[in-house]
Amino acid sequence: MKIITAKIDCSADKRIAADDMILTSDMPTAAGSRMLDGYMSLFSAEAVTRLADAGYNVAMKADVGEFSVDLIGETSYNGTPAVNGVLVNPACEAVKSGDAVAAISLDVNGAIRRGAAHAGLVCIKPTYGTVSRYGTIPAACSGECVSVTAGSAETVSEVLSVIAGHDDKDGTSLPAEKCEAAAKINAPVKRIGIVKALCEGADEDVQAKLDGFTAKAKAAGIEVIELDGSGLVAARSAWNVLMSAEVCNNVSRYDGVKYGYRAEKFTNLDELYTNSRTEAFGEVIKSVILYGSETLSTDNYMKVYDKSLRVRRIICEIFESFFEDIDALLIPAVSKMAYTEEDVRADKYMAFTENIYTAPASITGLPAVVAGGVQLVGPALSDAALLDAVKRIG
Amino acid sequence: MERDTLRRLELLNQLKLTEQQKEDFLCFFDKRMEDFSAIDRIFDTSDVERMVHVMPIMTVVREDEVVKKFDREALQQGAPETDEGYWCVPRVVE
Repeated sequence: MKIITAKIDCSADKRIAADDMILTSDMPTAAGSRMLDGYMSLFSAEAVTRLADAGYNVAMKADVGEFSVDLIGETSYNGTPAVNGVLVNPACEAVKSGDAVAAISLDVNGAIRRGAAHAGLVCIKPTYGTVSRYGTIPAACSGECVSVTAGSAETVSEVLSVIAGHDDKDGTSLPAEKCEAAAKINAPVKRIGIVKALCEGADEDVQAKLDGFTAKAKAAGIEVIELDGSGLVAARSAWNVLMSAEVCNNVSRYDGVKYGYRAEKFTNLDELYTNSRTEAFGEVIKSVILYGSETLSTDNYMKVYDKSLRVRRIICEIFESFFEDIDALLIPAVSKMAYTEEDVRADKYMAFTENIYTAPASITGLPAVVAGGVQLVGPALSDAALLDAVKRIG
Repeated sequence: MERDTLRRLELLNQLKLTEQQKEDFLCFFDKRMEDFSAIDRIFDTSDVERMVHVMPIMTVVREDEVVKKFDREALQQGAPETDEGYWCVPRVVE
């Protein structure tokens, strides 16, 4: 596990960990990749600047899997973060250990949500566009969000209130009035839906978490109903396509010329590019690049990429129809309550099946809150209402 | 996926895979495509409009004036090789 601590002489209750996808001008940012090892940005991300302005201290950088597309952080160039063979997310570990009061992370493919579910923390992937992505390393821009993880919903709310808000520097930033709406509880969560089709792949421990959360929700006066939303499982394969295509485009800038890793051996410019990228990128990200590239090829553009964009609309419409009857959807965040090093040795691409739980919120941009090991997905701008529900449910 | 297609993808993306990595990628690719083909059994997407982005997006524009300036030296701090303010690359014209 790699935590780069830069400033520890500050009040513990103001210490924030930023994951390695978020630029900081006073600490290196490498996106978990050899390609950017030691990279120093000339500026900090907007979220970091806002936290500093509010008196917080972004005191440490938490490692991530390469470009944060993996399961929980296991593809980092720095090695797989694990404790006694069990995989951990470094940002979550920083919070859990008390080194940081909260963590900000770029949620690309759900790694931070899975980490929070395992660590028993509260994490919000806010409504897309409510937190500026200015100064984050781009991977899958159409769905990635700066998320907040902490030990309680109260702390998550507090930190989110600092970093959320319109930012002129981000073309996908929502207008100020919409950001303000997300910070208010416009309609408290009174009814939660649960889709059995999305729970079937989860093991007994996760089922117990879902049952426990449901029981506590009912005790808090929240109705829980069952819904047929089997179509939501398609979000995963569509998101895998869109994410891979976007990652392929975004990492094409890394060529070993202007910054980042450069191979030692090459005889011409072509070899400089190829050797640098081949030596610096890990196997999983290479596979994502090639898969994304193929989905954008002449043969597959309409059959795969274009279709994924259509599926995105269908998934949004399914959620819209749900939210006519319910205020939030309860789904697992993970299929099991711990991943082991053996799991990812057996299947290094596990993130691309396990993201069946995180892809629905990623592909639609809807807010998702992980608490008690499970996940609540709400309508756009229901961020405060979801966190309020988690506080009430306890 | 045919091996030739994979070779084309490697060239296009300036990557080289080992034999084992090629095997693993082909397996990964087949699984993703198999997973994707299941969509046809769930939805008919032919009449559905594409959704490129979940929120309306706009091009960020600003006044055409200098608002922030990094000097050349700072910008080249992370460069693998520079010479008198230029980025160095291998000779491209023989």
